[in-house]
Amino acid sequence: MKKMAFGVLATLLLTTGLGFAQTNVAVSEWQIPFLNCLTGPLASHGSMYQWSTNQAAADINKAGGIAGKPVRVIGVDTANDPQKGTVEMARIVKESLVALGPVPEPVIMAAMPIAVENQMLSITGTTSYEYASKFFPWSVAWFPPYPKRFPPLAKGWAGQFSDMKQVIQFVEPFGPWPMMAEAHVAGLKEAGANVLKPVEVPSDAVTFGPLVVKALEQKPDGIIFCCNAEKVAKMIKELKSRGWQKMDHILVFSSGDDAPLYTVGGEDINGIQVYNYVNPDIDSPRWNAFKTAFMKDHNGMPPFSLSTNYYDALFMIKEAIEKTGVTGDPKKLKEERKKIADYCANVKGFQGLMFSWDMKDGGPTNKPLFIFEIQGGKKKLVKEIKLAG
Amino acid sequence: MPLPLYYFLSITAVNILMSWALYVPYRMAHLHFLVVANMAISGYAAAYMVLSLHLPFGLALLAGFAIGAAVGFLVALFIGDAPTFAVVIVGFTFIYIARTVIENTEAVGGTMGLFGLPNIGGDPAVHRWTILSILYGLVLLVGFLIHRFDHSQLGRAASAAFIDKDLTTSLGIDIRKMGILLQTFSCTLAGGCGVLYGFIYKSFHLDYFTFHVVGILMTFIFVGGYTTLWGAVLAAPVLYGVPLLFPPEIASWRIVIYGALLVLVLVLKPEGVITTRFVYRVEALLSRKGLKQPPSTNP
Repeated sequence: MKKMAFGVLATLLLTTGLGFAQTNVAVSEWQIPFLNCLTGPLASHGSMYQWSTNQAAADINKAGGIAGKPVRVIGVDTANDPQKGTVEMARIVKESLVALGPVPEPVIMAAMPIAVENQMLSITGTTSYEYASKFFPWSVAWFPPYPKRFPPLAKGWAGQFSDMKQVIQFVEPFGPWPMMAEAHVAGLKEAGANVLKPVEVPSDAVTFGPLVVKALEQKPDGIIFCCNAEKVAKMIKELKSRGWQKMDHILVFSSGDDAPLYTVGGEDINGIQVYNYVNPDIDSPRWNAFKTAFMKDHNGMPPFSLSTNYYDALFMIKEAIEKTGVTGDPKKLKEERKKIADYCANVKGFQGLMFSWDMKDGGPTNKPLFIFEIQGGKKKLVKEIKLAG
Repeated sequence: MPLPLYYFLSITAVNILMSWALYVPYRMAHLHFLVVANMAISGYAAAYMVLSLHLPFGLALLAGFAIGAAVGFLVALFIGDAPTFAVVIVGFTFIYIARTVIENTEAVGGTMGLFGLPNIGGDPAVHRWTILSILYGLVLLVGFLIHRFDHSQLGRAASAAFIDKDLTTSLGIDIRKMGILLQTFSCTLAGGCGVLYGFIYKSFHLDYFTFHVVGILMTFIFVGGYTTLWGAVLAAPVLYGVPLLFPPEIASWRIVIYGALLVLVLVLKPEGVITTRFVYRVEALLSRKGLKQPPSTNP
């Protein structure tokens, strides 16, 4: 009887406590600013990220909001301009609890020091660990470091083909891309391939024939592209026009898996392989709903690489707020900012849109990578590369 | 000081100084885009000195000015009297060269950039006040120097060269020497601005120094007025600041608004909003000496 009474009491205390957690929330709406590139040369990426966060906010609100209050993501345009990004970040850090972005790297580098100085977590969900880690603990990385993720990936791809002896990479000198290409090398060598001298693709290149000829002179039998999606598509067309036939011996890196690859590449990219963190073949109600909504709003195109990052980021913020009892009270701003940052940096078993993963000291430890083959604009899973935890 | 205000004021000061760096050689019709490359070269060099060689900021800033001056002088030896188009091409080429060299130099972060520039004085508030003091000290000093230049014999010689270089030469003016002087001055200024620009952001990335910067500076000069130093003083804060106040719905149209404004000004008021004649009238009004006939409407 005593045990039963204790149990009832414990249950009452727990439920009352939970009730308090909800009634203690000091805001009528959670407002999360998102420093995003909504105009300028990367606007197509920015609008996709914005779509994802809006979708996440809609899903969260449909399920009761964050700690019982609705959430709204406020898109703040950086226009890919550090001058604008810094002023916007300086405004945001005044009273925001947490933020998303900035996007992309030049704005991250200019604006994130402001978030760090003001001790506010801003989730830079689309950049690499190598950028995000510079701002720990006031940022979290969405990807593991290059030396952890790319060697197994490159080895897994090259290991499929016993006839692949010489591999060349096309590398565009933009942000972290050359480092990504460099990280492929170790894996290719482990797979027994000879890595040829890479071909640099200038960011302002408009003709690609000479670059392709330069690569073919070295007689490669495998190619990795680390460049912008449109350039990749154009170079593949050039390769085909010069007689390249082994399409699956071409691998496109994750940032190249973007709309222009498909729209510009058309039928010419049939058979090539791409890698990224999104596996559209996953069959779960949550993923299926996201995929359907994405395709509806993007002319039937399946979700691109990076399209889920900010969706998951908003859910991670929700979880952090709810599990650490954050109230949104402006008087507790400093303390609650830290609670959210600490939670996100080391969350375990976070249920992302496609898979769950752990974070350790700001970086994910066990996110998988997927290699796909493209046929008729659709991706077919070739293999999953599991990274060591 | 509120943070947004600090960033607005500091970036505005850099924009004014850089517009002047472009304005000074343009007094004799040299559109000298080398200044943008110089920002990058001096900025990265100073950051390397601070981060890797652990030199103090003051020394790195002076080095930034000196590197800017050296690069500017060396290039000016070849293009001091070149036609406008040749100067433009050299400037663009140098932006490419500077970017490519930096991209391939691991010591300055390559394509990744440089992170973690320290606070001057070890404190964020001291850092901000130091940056603002230096920048606005420079605005006053450089503004004074350009004002003196504009009203000097040399300034009038530059105005003559803007119209007709051959005629100016026939008057005994050494066009080449004047070109070297003005280009070196503007590159020195740009070198210092590059260092300060990076220390505002506490980082360096190649995309801080793109052709976008050239476009913005050109807009400041040509909308504000390319015949007087006051054009940039008006246009830099207005064109940079006003879009920050736009509601999100209009903010997306920022570039269109910039473009339309530039076209409108070029069509309706080709000399820009503030002209020499206007400045002369204001000066006359302020000195209470009544209106005099302005010497020229040329720069």
